[in-house]
Amino acid sequence: MFGSQFDGAAAFSGGGFMPSQSTAQFADPSSASPAKSRDTQSLLPVTVKQINNALVSHDEKINVLIDGVDVTNVTLLGMVCNKAERVTDVTFSLDDGTGRIDCNRWINEPLDTNEMEGILDGMYVRVHGHLKSFQGKRQLNVFSIRPVTDYNEIASHFIECVYVHVYNTRLQKSQVGASVQPQVTNPIMSNSMKPHPAPPPNQLPVQRSLDGFSQNIQLVLDCFLRPENLRPERGVHINDIAQQLSLPVDKIREAIPYLEEEGLIYSTVNDFHYKSTTNA
Amino acid sequence: MDTSNPAVFVNAELLGRYVGRKVRAVIQVIRNDGSAVIGKSTDEKQIIVKGLPPSQLTTFVEVIGIAEGQNSISADKWTNFGDNFDTFTYNKLCQLANGEYQHLFL
Repeated sequence: MFGSQFDGAAAFSGGGFMPSQSTAQFADPSSASPAKSRDTQSLLPVTVKQINNALVSHDEKINVLIDGVDVTNVTLLGMVCNKAERVTDVTFSLDDGTGRIDCNRWINEPLDTNEMEGILDGMYVRVHGHLKSFQGKRQLNVFSIRPVTDYNEIASHFIECVYVHVYNTRLQKSQVGASVQPQVTNPIMSNSMKPHPAPPPNQLPVQRSLDGFSQNIQLVLDCFLRPENLRPERGVHINDIAQQLSLPVDKIREAIPYLEEEGLIYSTVNDFHYKSTTNA
Repeated sequence: MDTSNPAVFVNAELLGRYVGRKVRAVIQVIRNDGSAVIGKSTDEKQIIVKGLPPSQLTTFVEVIGIAEGQNSISADKWTNFGDNFDTFTYNKLCQLANGEYQHLFL
């Protein structure tokens, strides 16, 4: 049953390259929160062109948005040019074929000096850095730079840029349609919350009338999901559920074990109080 | 930051679209006569690359320069890409970068 609902992207979270769902929530500029959570600091593979585009459309904002994702850390791949060594840092331009971006690498330790000495103009490098604005210009604070040794990495990087772009723009599109439904991460939950759940017959006691039983489960679950029932920390007494639904308590007792096994509700202070696993 | 002079990923098929503009291509070297290199593009067509090739060229070379015509590039940057290179993937990238996802590149 759950095999068909397996979502690879959700399961692997894109290996850090993808924003989590919570990030996507903040992607809407109007709801952008000034307090940055760790989720918003993902590392995005990008082209210089994408950074430049982001600038044009969002120049009033402090944060750079690419495909609706708040960008702080990026990885680029390109050729080094105009390298200049100074006392405290090394500056260079990175040309990735789509454009050039100014980069600087602070020199704090001998290790940094060694790393930068090996980097020469005309070399292909992979950089990881922090995108920031300095004196009105965008630049990249590089914290890792290494020469490209396998040139297949070039195609790989740009294809990854395309992939992440597609991923993030699709995520946005799907969010527009989804409006303000509560964030549902559990595939079981999302299934049960549809108007007519159809738990597979083999999971239900055979002797019962299937429709009546699953209907009761849905009613009980819906009742647990009412805001007034989500709020109290101790959950709701099953008698209260029965009262709210005008159903005999026995019917509620029948539904409880199923909902509990499915991880949709849990018992709280005693065996009579249950609460939905959904957050209020 | 400057995106006014990009070097477009091209294969032989796409080269003709960018005559007079900066392009980059990976070629498999067939012959090097010191002033020009005859090579095979990633879509397996012949390309002539003019300019000053370095004395040592590996099997695969990336050239960045100006597209001169349907099958020739005047190169000013030559980078050896070694003897093992996945031309199929690179060719796909050329197509993506000039097709549906061109806005990420140009």
